[in-house]
Amino acid sequence: MKFTTRDQLKAWLDGLAAEMDLVAPRGVDGHVFYRPVASGDEVLFDYERPELSAKAFVFPDTEVFLRVEQRGKDVTVEEVRTERKQVIFGVRPCDAHGLAVIDALFLNQEPADAQYQHHRERTVLVGLACPRMWEGCFCTSMGGAPDDATHLDVLLREVEGGYAVEAVSEKGKALVKGLKTKQKAGDPPAPQTNADAVPVVDTATWRTLFNDKLWQRHGERCLSCRICTYVCPTCRCFDVVDRVVDTQPGLTRIERIRVWDACTSTNYRRAAGGHNSRPTKPGRIRNRFYCKFCYYPEDFGPLGCVGCGRCVVSCPVDIDITEIMRDVAAKGGQE
Amino acid sequence: MSDYEALTQQIREQARQLLSEGRVDCVIGYEVGPRGVTRPAFIYDAADVDRLVWNASCVHNLVTYLHDKKKPQRRGEEPPRVAVVVKPCDSRTINVLLAERQIARERIFAIGMACEGTVGADGEPLARCTRCGDRVPVVYDVLLGEPPNVSPPQDDYPDLARIEAMPPAERLAFWLGEFDRCIRCYACRQVCPGCYCTTCMFERDDGLWVDIGIEVSGKHIFHLGRALHLAGRCVECDECERVCPMGLPLSLLNRRLVREVDATFHYHAGREETLAPILFEFGGSK
Amino acid sequence: MAANPMRPYVGRLAGVREVATGVKLFQIELTEPEGQASLAEYKPGQFAFLSVFGAGEAPFGLASARGPYLELGVSALGHVTNSLHALEVGDPVGVRGPLGNWFPMDQIKGHDVVIIGGGIGGLPLRPVIHTILDHRADYGHLTILWAARSPDLLIATDEFDEWRNAPDTEFHVTVDQGDENWSGNVGLITKLMEEVAPSTQNTITVTCGPPIMIHFAFLTQQKLGFTPEQMLTTLEARMHCGIGKCGRCNMGEKFICVDGPVFWQYEVKEFLEGFL
Repeated sequence: MKFTTRDQLKAWLDGLAAEMDLVAPRGVDGHVFYRPVASGDEVLFDYERPELSAKAFVFPDTEVFLRVEQRGKDVTVEEVRTERKQVIFGVRPCDAHGLAVIDALFLNQEPADAQYQHHRERTVLVGLACPRMWEGCFCTSMGGAPDDATHLDVLLREVEGGYAVEAVSEKGKALVKGLKTKQKAGDPPAPQTNADAVPVVDTATWRTLFNDKLWQRHGERCLSCRICTYVCPTCRCFDVVDRVVDTQPGLTRIERIRVWDACTSTNYRRAAGGHNSRPTKPGRIRNRFYCKFCYYPEDFGPLGCVGCGRCVVSCPVDIDITEIMRDVAAKGGQE
Repeated sequence: MSDYEALTQQIREQARQLLSEGRVDCVIGYEVGPRGVTRPAFIYDAADVDRLVWNASCVHNLVTYLHDKKKPQRRGEEPPRVAVVVKPCDSRTINVLLAERQIARERIFAIGMACEGTVGADGEPLARCTRCGDRVPVVYDVLLGEPPNVSPPQDDYPDLARIEAMPPAERLAFWLGEFDRCIRCYACRQVCPGCYCTTCMFERDDGLWVDIGIEVSGKHIFHLGRALHLAGRCVECDECERVCPMGLPLSLLNRRLVREVDATFHYHAGREETLAPILFEFGGSK
Repeated sequence: MAANPMRPYVGRLAGVREVATGVKLFQIELTEPEGQASLAEYKPGQFAFLSVFGAGEAPFGLASARGPYLELGVSALGHVTNSLHALEVGDPVGVRGPLGNWFPMDQIKGHDVVIIGGGIGGLPLRPVIHTILDHRADYGHLTILWAARSPDLLIATDEFDEWRNAPDTEFHVTVDQGDENWSGNVGLITKLMEEVAPSTQNTITVTCGPPIMIHFAFLTQQKLGFTPEQMLTTLEARMHCGIGKCGRCNMGEKFICVDGPVFWQYEVKEFLEGFL
């Protein structure tokens, strides 16, 4: 295996930070998030699962995507782009998997989402394998693994005294050229995994349960907040609004932004005039899970869940995706 | 120590009676999910009452769910009658909602629980419980359990004093740092029994006060605005702080105003069943 | 479609007129070359996002298949639409389109056609009517059933005479509730449908209106003997992108914006989640 030390990694990250946007796990007031960092020293190497997924760095929670300038009756529209490359370091494999899920819709379905494509193309994903699965994790049930390299450009695995480096893609190979490594004998240890798998059933089974009373039972205690969708590495709903940023005589500057949205929120389906075609909590919760396990795979290919477990541990009323998957499998099996 | 097992049985028996005698259509209580997490439960059938539990982790303020029960379930019917399990703090929100004409007293059956405090996921008492002196709900139709004979501390706002001692610039930096972590998930608002506007002013399509961007400027206004809207209405159930996934100390904002309303008006939201909303008193339109 | 489908073409308001109380028909001239070229691509049933820069954008169905301008009908219901109503001729706007699928006008050729329009839902049917009237020989008998809650909400009243007098065309109109000047039919459109009772022989129906009206219009059509393979409709939902990404407008696994907005009734009834 190719071996490197933490100090060598830090030196490499220092070099990257000087040239491009570097994002990495960082401690923030007792929390761990993927955040922009300026040097290798700011990077957290020992962490569990950052509390928010990495999606915000290719699909920002709030992003100005058009700048519009209106002079009198003349309008110019400019698309917002950056020339800078971006490296997301320390990505957990589930978060990279999550981006692959979003890719299936935002990149692979015509027309591509131009803004997302722009960020995706400028970004290199350097993963750090999880040594074990954390509370709520079930990536192994969703086709992933704590050390799954599939959706990463580079995968690091912690080994005695440092890290094993695996450049997965061409982008990754180019990036690690600047990283000092040496050949070392041996293989990285396999991560610990949970024994109890969560059952994933086919979309046809889901279709038989649309009117089942389990949606009432799981959905009624929902608060209609947005935690599950905002912590989720695959949720991708968005809203688009304008904001006026500058008004002078004869000149108005406007930003068009897109902002994360959540199908769990009360007014998600409220149309102009007030009609809401999904007015109840059970109906909205059902849509969230059908999106992940029925609509998304049918429409775009992959399942809309990677088993990161964030929604499981962060829901204030214990709406547990794994419990729902087990219920659906049990009920589906009875028919 | 409460005998949780005995109280669990009493809640179940109460729920069984209410449902089988047709006195209520639904009992909102607590159950324990497969992961061992205590959570809200809605019981419609006497056959399901054994799902109900009472334990130290019954932290949720279930009164917030009464907003979902204000309308008839089917057109032309009466709104449902609902029994709800309440702790002392929760019970005060019943009074707030009664005073604000959100719920009808005769449609609510309050199963009051003598309370010795609840614990968080870490097993430690919740901060709100360590400063709470209430052991008996202020409104109930039946009281279960013996009020524990302890004299707990009253809230003298020591944590608030620490923030207030900061110079303004430092205090602003503290709050902006906290608000920066906010992801604008609105869990604080959604869990709050006092936040029931059909369209929140912070989520208007026209972005009149603040647009929907998840940025610190908007989050700042949202949290301060929400706290102000709860002035004289907040009962310090602190559910907003408990559900916040980013650990924002929202209680500091709310209790700052609780203290202010206490000092200025000697008003304590929800303490009495007949208490009119403070802004009504204030405006002389009782 | 544009390189970035979220970037609007710049245009200006070339004309505006009120077509019913609270409903304005906007004529839009696209000023960028790419935008001008896009005009030729619009087909009946498709929609576009119309921007008021600074207020935002919202989707509207194509309201005309005639003339040099893009025509969209806007009911003042929310922030963007109220801002649109405040615009004056010459003011700049943005347009993203054409989006969505369209009415299969080629497939409809040779058939009798029944148009069922309720309220502002009549506007997206106008290009269908125009297409049939402008290529009259290609289509069979045309029945237009038109309705609104009240007379002041009837859409396209200035075209009623043209429709009435068109060859091989019958036009019926009703209102839910009349006023002192109204001497025509009073009652729901479903009642009018039953009274007119159009033949199902070699006929295609096209329905648009509020969701609840579409629902009952389908039921009445079934009663009259129409099969799901004969009934078309166009649906709407709140949406933010129009290109199948933003998630807002799904009806089960279908997205109104890319799988629709035009659907056959046999598709609608297969939706896992109803459109009501």
